[in-house]
Amino acid sequence: MAASSTGTYFTSYRAESALRRTKAEWARLALIAGFLLALPSLATGPLHQVLELHVINMVLIVVIGAVGLNILIGYTGQISLGHGGFLCVGAFTAGVFYQRFDLPAPVGIFAAVVFTAALGAFFGLPALRLKGLYLAIATLASQTVIIFVASQWSWLHDQGETMNLSRLRIGGFEIAARGAGHWQWYWILLVFAVLSVYAGRNLVRSSVGRSFMAVRDQDIAAAAIGVNVTRAKVTSFAVSSGFAGLAGALWAHYRGNATPETFVLETSILFVAMVIVGGLGSIAGAVYGAAFMWMVPELITKALLNVGGSEWTSRVPHLEMIFFGLLIMLFLIFEPRGLDRIWQRTKDYFRFWPFRY
Amino acid sequence: MKIRSAAAASLALALALSACAPSDDAADDDGPITVGLIADLSGATADVGTPYHNGMLGYIDWLNDQGGIDGRQIRALAEDYAYIPDNAVTLYDRFIREGAVAIQGWGTGDTNILAERINDDEIPFMSASYDETLVDPSTRPYNFVVAPTYSDQMRVALNWIAEDAGGEAGVAVFHHDSAFGQAPLADGAAWVEEQGLDLSLTNFPMPGDGNMVGLLRRAHNQNKTYVVIQNVSTPAANVARDLADQGLDMTIVCLNWCGDEIFIDTAGPAAAEGHVFVQPFTPPQADVPGLADVAEYLDGRGQTLEDVGLHYAQGWYTMHVMAEGIRRALDGGSLSGEAIKEALESAPIETGGVVGGGTVSFSPDSHRGSSGTGIYRVENGEMTVVELGVTP
Repeated sequence: MAASSTGTYFTSYRAESALRRTKAEWARLALIAGFLLALPSLATGPLHQVLELHVINMVLIVVIGAVGLNILIGYTGQISLGHGGFLCVGAFTAGVFYQRFDLPAPVGIFAAVVFTAALGAFFGLPALRLKGLYLAIATLASQTVIIFVASQWSWLHDQGETMNLSRLRIGGFEIAARGAGHWQWYWILLVFAVLSVYAGRNLVRSSVGRSFMAVRDQDIAAAAIGVNVTRAKVTSFAVSSGFAGLAGALWAHYRGNATPETFVLETSILFVAMVIVGGLGSIAGAVYGAAFMWMVPELITKALLNVGGSEWTSRVPHLEMIFFGLLIMLFLIFEPRGLDRIWQRTKDYFRFWPFRY
Repeated sequence: MKIRSAAAASLALALALSACAPSDDAADDDGPITVGLIADLSGATADVGTPYHNGMLGYIDWLNDQGGIDGRQIRALAEDYAYIPDNAVTLYDRFIREGAVAIQGWGTGDTNILAERINDDEIPFMSASYDETLVDPSTRPYNFVVAPTYSDQMRVALNWIAEDAGGEAGVAVFHHDSAFGQAPLADGAAWVEEQGLDLSLTNFPMPGDGNMVGLLRRAHNQNKTYVVIQNVSTPAANVARDLADQGLDMTIVCLNWCGDEIFIDTAGPAAAEGHVFVQPFTPPQADVPGLADVAEYLDGRGQTLEDVGLHYAQGWYTMHVMAEGIRRALDGGSLSGEAIKEALESAPIETGGVVGGGTVSFSPDSHRGSSGTGIYRVENGEMTVVELGVTP
């Protein structure tokens, strides 16, 4: 059982429903905020050997997608192997509005969220009849259909299967080229990532979020107590895809391109892995999982290259896969409930100290 | 109110921090010159990507032993991207951050998605993709293609088929299902139309599982007697093997990424016999002056040209062309992307007969480095010359 702080009393409903209720929680938030504000300076300054701003920026984008998928898999219990496809839809929608219709970027990003959510709700319909592995296979179809359309519809492409997006400009402001551009992007992406995490945290505390969890835990019982299972499942697919659409749109703008070759089945599986490694049914877990799955392979590669030098280059990718695979296996053996659970246990250890429980 | 003031404070802090964002510094000192290498060592095209990459590293090692460029060493940043285009963007960003003055890329998909970045950053970029869209400086001013484009190779292949068939013939184009595989398809069809060749062309995307029997059966049922392959060696060798197993009478014409010794060895000399390669790069057994340096370097490490294969010299000379551009730019006093681009466009670069017709030349109007290609036929497990210096 997780430890909870004692001696906190509330004098209003407002205080009781607050996201953060104790001084320790506020202090932790302040620490995180300080870290996030200092991160770009650290990545270009003292920690530039380990951290790279362009990698951190991708983590911020991926976090948004992972939060969305955790709402679907972790909170609603619906497995999806189509998340990569929905990112692709978001990327191309944003690209079409920005590049083809010449509309402002925020309009395109908003349209990407709405359109991807609608499409997600549509592709989520099989969830009304299918469960578990059967649903996973059905969502595989959405992945395949989306990638097929995106690779065959030549109006979308500038060269090959790629749509190029020119550097982001909003009103009179244009993102700088090279290093300074990554720096500016960090702040934009940070705002989106923080808002997404905040939205996710609050969603799962709302009646909608609780209906998701009821469906996950026992859908028949949920229906018996008056939860509209159909609505919960379709809403969950829509919300999850909406997050994917946002992540895809930002991905396209940040990377300067949209192409189906980026959002293949492996990407979908990577997102499922993020959610599992981070911790199912935890928004914080989605953040940890995304950071872990995106940054650790990079760090392993870096370490291997440092050890071996350029003579090693051709061995590094294979060694990296072995190390990373081993790491995930050890994880699943020692803490199948993910990184979030490890953090909970660490907190419990200090709370109960000097007692074990 | 509280939230608003907190938001305002963090925005102010963010702006203050972005004021100290790093600036770009020029690479004009006496230290090493940094070049980035995006390689496929573990992905779908790793069979040819690995020797090509080793050739580049070999050239850099050789050049550094010779004293580098005007006394400055070349520092190679090399990493694998597993043929996943988005990974190439991460590597590109990393190389730029580390101060790379020029970058060697790999595939068509990733070279395409880097388009905006390359143009914005003004970074001379060579790829192992010979996509026709890369040779036009009006849209891709910093991309350079050393070899005849895939479209040119396809045109040469179709011309040869029309001549070899001596009349009407069915041609199946088997291609990798990606931007790389699709690159020459439209131009090939247009060429048949334009030249009035008596060929009926059908495109077939190749399956990823290595079993080509179904594909070959379909092509055979449509009366195809020639198979042009735009893919890498291993899947192309599977086509040759399945073709021999099925006892079908069809001739394979490999474009440059599958016309090599890997194809012959993987398919086996018997299955490879009689098939044709459109290959702009000189094979190891050819007697051209350009291969002498490579052979000597390899000899010092206990290897031969045959050990490392055709793509090694291809990587070696692609790196050589870039190094010559850097050398000329350095002589002119600047290592900016603009300077290297102009240096590459200024005069032809000699490759001792290894690439295309022998020299690679770029101009401000065209980044098509060469257009001559060799045609080879597999005889007794060896590449034998049918014709050299063929242009469409």
